[in-house]
Amino acid sequence: MIKVKDVSFSYQAGTEIIKDITLHFDQRSTAIIGQNGAGKTTFVKLLKGLLKPSSGDIIIGDSSVNETTPATLAKQIGLVFQNPNDQIFKRSVLEEVLFGPLNIGQNPELAKENALNALKMVGLENRLEVNPQDLSLSDKKLLCIASIIAMDTNIIILDEPTIAQDHLGKQKIKEIIQSLKEKQKLVMTIIHDMDFVAENFERTIVFQQGKAILDGSTREVFAESDILAAARVEPPSITQLGYWLGYKQVFLTEKELIETIKTDSKIAL
Amino acid sequence: MKALTLYEDRNTFIHHVHPINKLIYIFIIIVVPLILPLFPVLIAGIIMNTVLLLIANVFKKSLPIFGFVLLILLTVLIIQGLFHAENATPLFHLGPLLFYKEGFFYALQITLRVLNIVAAFMILVLTTKPSDLVETLVRKGLSPKIGYVLQSVFQIIPQMLSTMETISDAQRSRGMETEGNLFVRIKAFLPLLGPVVLNSLIQTRERAMALEVRGFSSLRHKTFLNEVKNYRYTTFIQFTLWLVLLAAIIWRVVL
Ligand SMILES: Nc1ncnc2c1ncn2[C@@H]1O[C@H](COP(=O)(O)OP(=O)(O)OP(=O)(O)O)[C@@H](O)[C@H]1O
Ligand SMILES: [Mg+2]
Repeated sequence: MIKVKDVSFSYQAGTEIIKDITLHFDQRSTAIIGQNGAGKTTFVKLLKGLLKPSSGDIIIGDSSVNETTPATLAKQIGLVFQNPNDQIFKRSVLEEVLFGPLNIGQNPELAKENALNALKMVGLENRLEVNPQDLSLSDKKLLCIASIIAMDTNIIILDEPTIAQDHLGKQKIKEIIQSLKEKQKLVMTIIHDMDFVAENFERTIVFQQGKAILDGSTREVFAESDILAAARVEPPSITQLGYWLGYKQVFLTEKELIETIKTDSKIAL
Repeated sequence: MKALTLYEDRNTFIHHVHPINKLIYIFIIIVVPLILPLFPVLIAGIIMNTVLLLIANVFKKSLPIFGFVLLILLTVLIIQGLFHAENATPLFHLGPLLFYKEGFFYALQITLRVLNIVAAFMILVLTTKPSDLVETLVRKGLSPKIGYVLQSVFQIIPQMLSTMETISDAQRSRGMETEGNLFVRIKAFLPLLGPVVLNSLIQTRERAMALEVRGFSSLRHKTFLNEVKNYRYTTFIQFTLWLVLLAAIIWRVVL
């Protein structure tokens, strides 16, 4: 769905932030991880067309970002900004969510329906007339997510969706990602919460200093403990627990580990 | 990182001129054309400003600001040229529109004056680190509160530009076209204004709170982090500037 070819980018001449990245994205849900300043946000802004590559090309569907505007791309690709305050600019929750759908040409009834559904998914359906600036940070983030979901694009990128979320909030986001996956959408997420990565994403890409240094199924990626350590990424706690218990394999969920221990202890008995 | 000032860090002569002298320069470049209300004087002022901007290597950076100012002044020129109360002598036709001499020259004078003032301020703003200016003034006894207001004024344009960029990103990433011909751009510009002003106000409020919790209103004596900078030819420049003013006054009296 997305082809990234030899893309480099710098904000100021001299310091390359993205260094010659080539990647293909299919429908697998994908996590992008890496330490602060690795270039993750910059990379997704390039995908969205908000920044233009210094060299190389990005093809979304069948159009090149070099030849289209972000506004045109908005029908295909939605981006939830890292900082909600950078994304929100309308005076009421409902207006904020309606902005995208109306702009990309959904008819008003459909737009309203999509907006209300999206707000229901994030649990803000009772606050339609509230000024977004009066929401808490976690609710602002959920509002941003709803604004993008309502656009019903085939590709959805979330820049640190779990920021400021408590357990319930994370659970909501998890459900949202699941339901988007069921609708055959490409969900790409930048995230620092490795437990969340292990539980929700099929593919993981590790960024370090502007390069994609690891790319594969989440299990393969978390098996590369040396490279991860070099990129200062800590594996999910369940994976670490597995190692400490002496297992060689990579566990991604508690269930997997428990099943294995149960089987092993049965054998031991 | 988005820089929150228009200041351009270059190593030119102008950058090493004392901020106070730049302020005196602004005062004189504004006052002299008022003392001697002649077109050549005004034009000489503009040329002088341009030369200084060129020497300071910031002329290019000032162009967008001039562009913006000129756009606004153009409307003044049209309105006055067409409808000024004293309009009597036709000057030229533009399609069906008839421009009059009185209004046209009146507006031209306003335009040149504003350009002159804006250019003079550009020299100060583009070549002086806001903190250096404010610090010099506060050292000279200006109340830190007024100093802060001054510094905010320096920051407000870049701050608004950066807010504008942020909101424009938010809008185009959700399908609002902002690129293309002038019409598309203007159509995209209008919905920006509300949020930009609102967000700037919100930011200002947050900043005021941030200042308070760090003891801004404290009555104790403040300390300064930076050493006093060494500026070049301070007395000589100041002397020359006052001399220009004196010359203008004498010219006016003698004339
Ligand atoms: N607008 C900008 N102008 C100049 N440099 C920038 C800009 N935005 C980001 N950078 C720099 O680019 C580098 C990568 O930033 P980016 O935001 O892409 O990192 P990130 O991986 O998203 O980090 P984080 O996990 O903290 O969000 C950083 O060194 C940052 O300082
Ligand atoms: Mg980021």
